[in-house]
Amino acid sequence: MLEVTGLKKAFGGNKILKGVDVSLQKGDVLCVLGPSGSGKTTMLRCLNYLEKADAGRMRFMENEYDMPGISKKEISAYRRHTAFVFQNFNLFANKTAIQNVTEGLIVARRMSRAEATERAEKALIEVGLEGKFDSRPSQLSGGQQQRVAIARAVAAEPDVIFFDEPTSALDPELIGGVLDVIRGLAENGRTMMIVTHEVNFAHNVATRVIFMDEGRILADAPRREFFGAEQLPRIRSFLNSLERKE
Amino acid sequence: MTERLINILLESFPKIFLQGLLVTIPLTVISFAIAMVIAMVCAMIQIANVKGLKQIVRFYIWIIRGTPLLVQLYLIYFGLPDLGIVLPSFPCAIMVFALNEGAYCAETMRGAIESVPKGQLEAGYCVGMSYMQIMRRIILPQALRTAFPPLSNSLISMVKDTSLAANITVVEMFMTAQRIAGRTYEHLALYIEVALIYLIFCTVFTWLQRLGERKLTSVSGGGSIHA
Repeated sequence: MLEVTGLKKAFGGNKILKGVDVSLQKGDVLCVLGPSGSGKTTMLRCLNYLEKADAGRMRFMENEYDMPGISKKEISAYRRHTAFVFQNFNLFANKTAIQNVTEGLIVARRMSRAEATERAEKALIEVGLEGKFDSRPSQLSGGQQQRVAIARAVAAEPDVIFFDEPTSALDPELIGGVLDVIRGLAENGRTMMIVTHEVNFAHNVATRVIFMDEGRILADAPRREFFGAEQLPRIRSFLNSLERKE
Repeated sequence: MTERLINILLESFPKIFLQGLLVTIPLTVISFAIAMVIAMVCAMIQIANVKGLKQIVRFYIWIIRGTPLLVQLYLIYFGLPDLGIVLPSFPCAIMVFALNEGAYCAETMRGAIESVPKGQLEAGYCVGMSYMQIMRRIILPQALRTAFPPLSNSLISMVKDTSLAANITVVEMFMTAQRIAGRTYEHLALYIEVALIYLIFCTVFTWLQRLGERKLTSVSGGGSIHA
């Protein structure tokens, strides 16, 4: 469904992505692991054109794009099929929870208010926020805000949802609830790409796992193989270092 | 206090107050309204980084902020006639006050827009909204809430700054008081009186500011704008 080849990105002289190939099939839950600074987030942002890639080609459904040369029109057509969940939630602070979800549906997708509201209510209930429809972001905990952001992503019924470290900004006791919501989406067959530091979550929920290091993909394997016996030494040492922290 | 003085004050009060309603307040409000438009346009040009126009805006703000308001008034009213451009005093005052205030408020607005976390712009893009839609519906309402107190401050400053227009023959409150003082020789009393009338007008504006802030708070999510 989504296939990217030769993705490169540098900030100034600093090469963050040094030629990344990545693909996503319908129904995949692809977890992206790797140490800080390995380029995971930058890759994800390039995939939704929040950063402009320096090089790379993308095939998405029937379309093919030259990533640095893609037009604004093509980007907005592409984004109709994708959604993005940010590390810092990025809710619209002047809108209520339900307005955060309906805003894009009404303004960008020209949906009627009634239909958008119905969808938004369904999405907010799906993430466990019934009774919080009219709360402002400031009145919600981090975990609740992130669940609103997930509802906002889900309500657009995208073909792919990108998650950029969705639990990294949360207090430890709130992480579980958000991960449960994402796990629920996985069980419903949503196609997702999740940059995360939650190795256990990847172990339980991913269908495929990618390991990135220094701007390259070191491993790209189905979950069982990835966490199986034949691990690369670099991955083993990364996973061990995480365990030691815990 | 002599009876004569009391009579002078009683007689002059409505005259000065009326001149405030007829000249000082319209001068303030019209200039400030134009200044808001200028400020908004200048702030948006800077935020959206429009090449060419941005340099013009920076130059305009630099000139206005680097020169005294009184000099600007003199330059336009007494200076431009040398080039054959003669403006009546009231429109001239409006023009100078609007241009002056616009430059300061442009900076206030720019700061307020920049204070809204950039992530909300990205989130807006990701749900398919355009730059202008995000600005109008998400960023500017929050920026306005942030900018409201400093902008109110500027408005209140302007009520008093309009007294400078007396220098270019606009008969506003201060000029009216000055004339009566000159005629009656009651300088101390008249200037205290006009100061009190400025105080009354500014108090009303302060009160309106509170009301506006309360209203904005209820529609924009309270003190939560930096979530």
